[in-house]
Amino acid sequence: MAATATAPPVAAVRRGSRTAALEAHRLLPRPLLVIVTVILCAMVLIPTAYILLASLNTDLGVAEGQFWPSTFSVASYTKIWTTANLATGLLNSIVIAGFTAVASALLGTVTAYVLVRYKFFGRLTILRGLVGLQSVPGTLMLLPVFVLFSSAGNYLGVTVVGTRWGLFIAYLTFALPFSTWVMVTYLRGLPRELEEAGRVDGASSVRILFRIIIPLSLPAIVVSGIFAFLLGWNDVLFAYVLTRPESQTAAVALSIFSATQEGGALPVYSQVMAAALVTAAPVVLLYLIFQRYLVGGLTAGGVK
Amino acid sequence: MTDDGTTTRPTRHGSAATMAAGPGPAAPPVKSRREKRLRGVTERQRPLWMLIPGGLLMTLIIIIPLLLAIYISLIDLDQYTLRRWLDAEFIGLKNYVEAFHSGLLHAMWISVSFAVISTIATVPFGVAAAVATQNRYRGRAVVRAVFLIPYVLPSFVVATVWRTMLQPDGIVNTLLAKVGITGGLWLSGPKAYWTLILVEIWAAWPFIYLMALAALQSVDGEVHEASAIDGANWWPKLTHVILPYLRGPVLLACLLATLNHINNFTLPFVLFGAPPPDSVNVMPTIVYVTSFQSLRFGLSAAMAIVSMLLIAIPLFAYLRVLRLDVHEEGGR
Repeated sequence: MAATATAPPVAAVRRGSRTAALEAHRLLPRPLLVIVTVILCAMVLIPTAYILLASLNTDLGVAEGQFWPSTFSVASYTKIWTTANLATGLLNSIVIAGFTAVASALLGTVTAYVLVRYKFFGRLTILRGLVGLQSVPGTLMLLPVFVLFSSAGNYLGVTVVGTRWGLFIAYLTFALPFSTWVMVTYLRGLPRELEEAGRVDGASSVRILFRIIIPLSLPAIVVSGIFAFLLGWNDVLFAYVLTRPESQTAAVALSIFSATQEGGALPVYSQVMAAALVTAAPVVLLYLIFQRYLVGGLTAGGVK
Repeated sequence: MTDDGTTTRPTRHGSAATMAAGPGPAAPPVKSRREKRLRGVTERQRPLWMLIPGGLLMTLIIIIPLLLAIYISLIDLDQYTLRRWLDAEFIGLKNYVEAFHSGLLHAMWISVSFAVISTIATVPFGVAAAVATQNRYRGRAVVRAVFLIPYVLPSFVVATVWRTMLQPDGIVNTLLAKVGITGGLWLSGPKAYWTLILVEIWAAWPFIYLMALAALQSVDGEVHEASAIDGANWWPKLTHVILPYLRGPVLLACLLATLNHINNFTLPFVLFGAPPPDSVNVMPTIVYVTSFQSLRFGLSAAMAIVSMLLIAIPLFAYLRVLRLDVHEEGGR
């Protein structure tokens, strides 16, 4: 990026200066670069490769300690749908995390817009709160949420614990401040002049928000939604406490499935690996599609 | 970045004070015409009602539960009193006293040491990876994608697969046996603590990498050229010119990473189950076990609040260095 920007227009000179500039920008000598890259890649890829290979192995092959399968089969990928509660889990995860994503991205955008563009008493406190809330331990939030949910059953006769929408509300406690903060970091970089034009034309604030701000910040809204989705998808704590078998999420289904394998006659570790990869697949897919935006958002938003 | 004076620091504090003093847009004494116009617009038509949906929801599902958590920590709430928790006995600070006598200090020590060791250990990996992928070469995109794998995988997946691999008869011990090392037990006993740290390092180093990479990319091209003209070798250039640029961002990343490690419930919970071995009983798991296995809700609320106070120390440091208003910074 930086190298091309400084290149002069004459082709021959550009070539020369470009290689010179590239040489100047070089941080590591080539051999060292190769060594560092190989070590780091091996650290990541050896376990990853094993997970993949084991999922394509037979349960017997994995139990025998094979790294490279003696026979490849996709049997594990077909068996997991009957041995684990995975289909229900995946569906629940998609529904719950999906609703969390949409709700927190929409509410977060509106809230963030007001927080960024208008001054009012308590604004900085709210901004600090948004950041601070992301570091509140999940266990601290879970307790009162659980007590409130279960007392809704006792005092009001409404069942919340064990339902999907109960978990959805619980996830909003983290997703909403997070999405709002992601939108705050994005919207404050948006030039004010964009709205000035609308104001001069006499458009109302709502109109400006929906006609100018939201269309312009659609990528960021999608990113904040995806992060909210991931918060829901990756959670284990709330899902363990607030679900019943029929409302279980994929995370719970997977960890229960893997925990029940140990100590059995023939642990089906190949299936565990297959199930792990299946539950990770939607997340990996999201990252592959939105990689550029998500990585930028990570460093801007800070907390994972 | 345009200089719309309404949002620079001194003005903002001034106006916040005016607003706290009383309602109505009291005209500030010295203002340029442009600022006046902008102020007029922003103050006359503040659509603060737009805060209501988000604000109301956050009050309802965040503020009220947090206040309730404080109340729960002061009452004697267990499985018998849960059904009628409004009538549970108020016992003051007894829960806190009991918390410190039932393993909380041990859990705090485990949590903090685990978080700090994990953070420090991930820094060399993250910085090395950032430095190695800063310069363009064929296949760099693939290498960068590989570096992100541990970060992209959900925590529960990482924990599940490592748990499987670290079983006594798992692949790790099989491979170690081939080179003549007896692996033994990884998930219980004295080694469990280091297992937790190793898996956390494996999963968390890409965060440091991402933050260090962002910082490296913001180093001006002229810096590289200047040090090339000076004939600096790669090592002095790296340590004396480039790495100083990384110090701030990487320290910030460390702060965040430490917070994330301390709050990590998923990894120890899925890796070791509940209740976990004593050596990996971190704060999140001790709170979980106390509330949802021993069903002592009051006691565990006290523990959770103590851990929140502990987390508040790095959190305040983070809030201090974090810029809440970045208009003056421009860019993002």
